[in-house]
Parts: sequence; structure tokens; C-alpha cells
Amino acid sequence: MTSSAPKSPPGHFSLLYFASASSFTGKDYESLSAPISIGKLFSELESRYPGMQAKILDSCLVTVNLDYVDIPTEGEEGLVIQEGDEVAIIPPVSSG
Amino acid sequence: MGDIKDGDANEIWEMSEQGCYVGLTYDHLNIQEAMDKVRSPMAGAIVLFAGTTRDNFAGKPVKELHYTAYNKLALRSMLAICKDILNKHGLKGISMIHRLGTVPIGEESILIAVSSPHRQAAWRAGEEALEACKSRVEVWKREEFEGEEGVWRANRDGAMGQKMDS
Repeated sequence: MTSSAPKSPPGHFSLLYFASASSFTGKDYESLSAPISIGKLFSELESRYPGMQAKILDSCLVTVNLDYVDIPTEGEEGLVIQEGDEVAIIPPVSSG
Repeated sequence: MGDIKDGDANEIWEMSEQGCYVGLTYDHLNIQEAMDKVRSPMAGAIVLFAGTTRDNFAGKPVKELHYTAYNKLALRSMLAICKDILNKHGLKGISMIHRLGTVPIGEESILIAVSSPHRQAAWRAGEEALEACKSRVEVWKREEFEGEEGVWRANRDGAMGQKMDS
């Protein structure tokens, strides 16, 4: 599995999926419309992949351009993802 | 899911800085190279840890393991861990290399080598480096079983990971 997504088209950002997030969506990455808040992104993912919030996202962290960002609590928007950003869903890690 | 896909040509595989070397590779791990990265005339000890793939999970037979990574972020985290541990224990060098893709049972999936003037610091640093890596580095392991779907493991709780849909 590669961890480099091609550059996202104008008005979009790249969303990378790893491990269980990749298995659940059947994708390594995709391009989505920007700007969008982390809160809205999670709602969008739940509607695209029903069950993803409870099965995957609840146990995941999120990075934007390689930095971990706060996951907004319910009803909050959180950080706003911008065009060209590289966002990743990070499931619990298991190296070694 | 193949070991190497398009886009890997643009991928980053290693980073190094002031006595620290970190790497990711689809190849077999090379113990001699890991040690040579930390060799120093000021060191009186090199401690090498080799993590190998076990043939069972809680007694259940495992066929093979498959590792995947967010290369850019994993290398950045590995380098941050190595720099911390190098400074904390006054090491002369530290290297951390993780294998990706399919790793057959009994083969090395990770090597950590540390060198220091005296052995006590090297033993401690090696263990701390491994524990920090397992808890933080953005690498994922999927255990493949005979005759059923694989599972993604999580180091955090030692429990079975998520069942795969494919």
C-alpha cells in the first residue's frame, strides 16, 4: 500500500486511509471538496460509508499535513481543511 | 493488496540526523547494516533488538504478517523518538528500521540498534526505543490466518483488531 496520494485537483484535498480505514472504505485515498471542517468531514464519511463513525473513526486520530489535530466533540466543527491539504485517518498503530 | 504499487517511486524510505538513522523497506532487514549505522570508536557497547514475526496470536495459528505505513509520518515519528532517546541516554548512535509488506513467520520485522559508551545505557535505551515505536509510529500490522480473513492489530490494548471487509 502506498502512502502517497497524487496531488488533489483544484478545490479539493487528499484524504488518506490506512489499515482498518482502508479496508473499510476499500480505498487507499480519495479527493474530497475543500474547504470542509473535520466535523463535517466525519459526517460526510459516515454518509459515504455507513457505520464508519462507530466502527472506525471513533478509535482513529487525524493528521493534517502530518500534524495531529484535535477531533471536535459532537456538534462542533473543528479545524477547517483547506484546498491542497493532505489529511489522513490514523487507526491505532501496531508496529514491531 | 500488493507489496509495491504505483506512487512508491515518490515515497520516502529513510531519514537521518546527528547519530540517528530511521528507515522503512520492503526488503529483508540487514542486521549488519543496522549495527554499522551506530558503530562508533567512543562506544563500548552496541545493543541490537530484532523483532520477529510469531506464528500465533493468543494460540491461534498465524500464516504471515503484512505491514503497511504512512511513510512520511512514520519516519518523522521514528526520528523524533530516536533523537529523544539518543539525548536522554547519551548514546553515540541509534538506528531503527521497519520492514513493510508481507513478512513470513520467523523473519525480522524491526531492527533497533543503539551504541553507547557503557552497556547499561544501551540496554535501557534499546528497550525504551522499541516501546516508544510500538506505541506511536504510524505502521500497521495485519495478521493473516489460515482459512479466514485477516485482522488489523492494535498495539494499544493487545486485543484483536478490526475484521477486514475484503
